[in-house]
Order: sequence, then structure tokens, then C-alpha cells
Amino acid sequence: MYKYIYIIPETIGRSVLRMCASIGRIAIFFYDFFMCLITPPIYIKSLLSQLVRIGYNSLPVIGLTAFFTGGVLALQIYVGGSRFNAENIVASIVALGITRELGPVIAGLMLAGRVSASISAEIATMRVTEQIDALITLSTNPMKYLIVPRVLAAVISLPILVIIADIIGIMGGFVVGTKSLGFIEQSYIKNTLDIIEFRDVISGLIKAAVFGFIVAFMGCYHGYNSTGGAQGVGRSTTLAVVSASILILASNYILTSLVFTN
Amino acid sequence: MDHVLKINELSKSFGDKSVLNGLSIDIERNTSQVIIGGSGTGKSVLLKCILGLIEADSGEIYFNQQILDKKNRAEIDFYSKIGMLFQGAALFDSLNVQENITFGIKKLESNLGNLSDIAVDKLKKVGLDSSVLHLYPSELSGGMQKRVALARAIARNPELLFFDEPTTGLDPIMADVINNLINEVIDEVGATAITITHDMDSAKKIADKISMLYKGAVIWSGDAKDIHSSNNPYVDQFIEGSSEGPIKINLND
Repeated sequence: MYKYIYIIPETIGRSVLRMCASIGRIAIFFYDFFMCLITPPIYIKSLLSQLVRIGYNSLPVIGLTAFFTGGVLALQIYVGGSRFNAENIVASIVALGITRELGPVIAGLMLAGRVSASISAEIATMRVTEQIDALITLSTNPMKYLIVPRVLAAVISLPILVIIADIIGIMGGFVVGTKSLGFIEQSYIKNTLDIIEFRDVISGLIKAAVFGFIVAFMGCYHGYNSTGGAQGVGRSTTLAVVSASILILASNYILTSLVFTN
Repeated sequence: MDHVLKINELSKSFGDKSVLNGLSIDIERNTSQVIIGGSGTGKSVLLKCILGLIEADSGEIYFNQQILDKKNRAEIDFYSKIGMLFQGAALFDSLNVQENITFGIKKLESNLGNLSDIAVDKLKKVGLDSSVLHLYPSELSGGMQKRVALARAIARNPELLFFDEPTTGLDPIMADVINNLINEVIDEVGATAITITHDMDSAKKIADKISMLYKGAVIWSGDAKDIHSSNNPYVDQFIEGSSEGPIKINLND
């Protein structure tokens, strides 16, 4: 009977300890990453290829997602706004919603699914097939060669992708607003341009850079510390996507409260 | 005696499981030292401790009379003086054969000459020609991958070569080809070689000296030619491949 009483506190205690250990490991990994980031060499060729892979190759996915998100947003705002006779706010809300919130978050989440998973699977496979050990024996720091270019590429790429997502998302709203909801094209564009401030775009881009870091860093962290063969590769990929997605949403709240409340 | 590597009282545990128990071994310069032993006796862990891929709990490793630890490995430029052939070849998937072979050279001696020429030269040494230069590892057979990995290991003319189960996963003929290549490259490069294996045919073919590990310690060392007259029941059981003898296999391990 007594042993059952202890099960719950034991389980909670074990989970807390595991969480503390994970935070500690991530902090050490971040420290190693930072030290490698600020000391030469930087592998430029690797950075460029990661820019293509993470940034350029993600364009279709992010473009399509942004377009449909903008379209759906226009429809929903129109339906909601008509209840208050405020249909005219569609263009403004679509523009603000996309630039301040949905552009960076949708792009971050899509990148978490696409890039974090692929980075994690790739590095985990390198781990289990001893390629990371081989790098060390060839006088190459794996942190510098594998992690720094990927994280840097994601931090650079995501803001650029978000600018494109903002434009395509607003365009999605414009297409739905003018072709389906009957808005006049010139007034839709005018309402959009009137409402957007430089600060809205910049805050979205700051978020994007942070999300880019989270996506690549979590992919690298889980892949680099993968153990247990093929099963471990699968586990690290799942963990990378889940943790990156949760951290994006959590940090989005923190950044929004920091950036938009002042 | 000139020892390129000296290992004193090396111990390593993973949780409650002790893998290396005060292991000591000296490796003579310009010899081919083979370390044999069953699965789980600590061969791979020993190799990883020497290479700095895992840190030992206690004990010392000396390379050319200089202690080898986490800090010191970079200072004495240890990795530029060694070559390593991994069990699964460990070629970089995203790089072609030429880039794999010259990966370490680029960082070291770009003045050695054209990288392509160096890669072709090393490929010749392992019995391959330039037609594979631009192929990727996934386009090569297992035997070819091992040869390319061997070419990469010798690319920097290392002082010390490590071979981790070099014939595992190969058919007997290809295994013999790899054994012959190992002998040839050791002679040609003039390196000291340390091989860990449980393949006795391979051990007999490439070894000058053999040491046997059991439960994380060296239980026999001697010249390769003396292994059949070791008078050690553990060694006798291992080379005969018999389930009867002092080595008990724990099927739960």
C-alpha cells in the first residue's frame, strides 16, 4: 500500500530531475555552440549550402502556406466583421495579422516540420554511423562544421522567408477579398498600406530570427545527442519537431508581450 | 624499447557496468598490433578512449611520451598524426570520394599539391582508379567503401593507424583483399597500426603482435606467431572458437 503512495511524488520528482538535466545539457550545448560561433574558422561553403537548403528550398512550402493562410484569414475576418457591420476592416486585419503574427509563426512552424526534422535526422544518422567521430579524427570540430552553419543559415533565412510570406499572405487575402468578397482592388491595397507600420514588419522579422534559431538549434541538439541506432534517429527527429514547435509558440508569446506592449 | 603509445591502468565504466578495468598496454613503434577479444570485452571502448571520443574515468595514455588528454590532444596535434578506419567506413554521405579522401588534407597541407592528384594517388594505393573519384558513398559497394575509407585514413601519411573491425561485414575474399591492403599500406606509409578485431584470420594475417582482452583487461600479449602456443586457456578457447572453456558467455548481456 505504502509503495503506491510514493508513486506519484516519485514520478513527479523523476520528471523534474530529467527536465533539469535536459536544460543543463541544452545550456552546455549552447555554450559550445556560442564559443564555436565566435571563433574562426566559419565554414562558408557549408553555410552557403545550408542557406540554399534551409532558405531557398523552403520557399514553395512557406509561400503556399502563407497564401492560403491569408485567404482563410480574409474569409474569417469578413464573417466575424459582418456581425458588427465592420466588413471594411478585412484588409487591415489581414495585413496586421500576417505581418505581426501569422507570417513568422506559420513560417516558423513549417520550418520546424521541414528543416528541424531533416537536420535532426541527418545529424543523428551521422552520429550512429560514426561520421561525427570520423570528423573528429580528421581534425575537424563537428560543432563548427555541422552545427554553426545550420543555425546561422536558419537565423539568416527565416526573416527573408517571412518577408516573402508576408507579401504572399497579404496577396492571398487580397485575392480572396477582391475576387470572392467583392472588395474594390484599389481600396483594399490602400487600406493595407495605410495600416502597416515599419514597426509591425520589423517585430515580425525579429520573431523570425528567434524562431530560425530555435528550429535549427533544436534539430541540431537532438540529432547530435542521438543514441540507439535507427530507433534513436526516429526519436530525435520527433523530439526536434515537437520541442521546436512548442518553443516557437512559447517564445512567440514572450516576444509579443515584449515587443508589442511597449 | 620505443613505444609510440603507452596505456597505463585505464578504467572506464558506464553506470554500474565496468568496461575497462585498469587496462595497460604498450604499443611498439612500427609494429602492427592487433587487439582481439569477444564482444563486450572493451575493445571499442579502448579505441574510443585513445581517440578521445570518450573520456576514461582513470588511467593515462601517452603518445610519443606525451600525455594524451582532452586539452593536450589539440596542443600536440594528435589528430593530424593518426588515421582511422571505422567499422562501417563512416564516409561522409554528402561528399564524393575525392572530397572524402582529401577532407583532412585540405585543413592541413594544401601545399601538398592538387587535391585531385592526391586522391587518385591514395585510391591507387587501395586498388581503385580515378573512375570512382566523383561517386558518392551510396553508389559504392561495401568493399569499395572500406577501400575509400582506407584511402582517407592514409591520406595524411599518419604515424599511427587505427583499424576498427576492418573485415566485418565483408565476404571472405573481400576480407582477404582488405587484409592485404592493410599490410601494404602499413609497409608503405611506415606507420604503427592498431587493429581491433575478433576475426582470427584477419588477426593472423596482419599482426606482428597480438593482445587479448577479457573483461576490460589484457590477459595475454605476445608475438602473433606464438598465439597457438600461448598456454592460455582463454586464448586457446577464443582462437578455436569453442563454447567450452573458461570464457562463459552470458546470454543476457
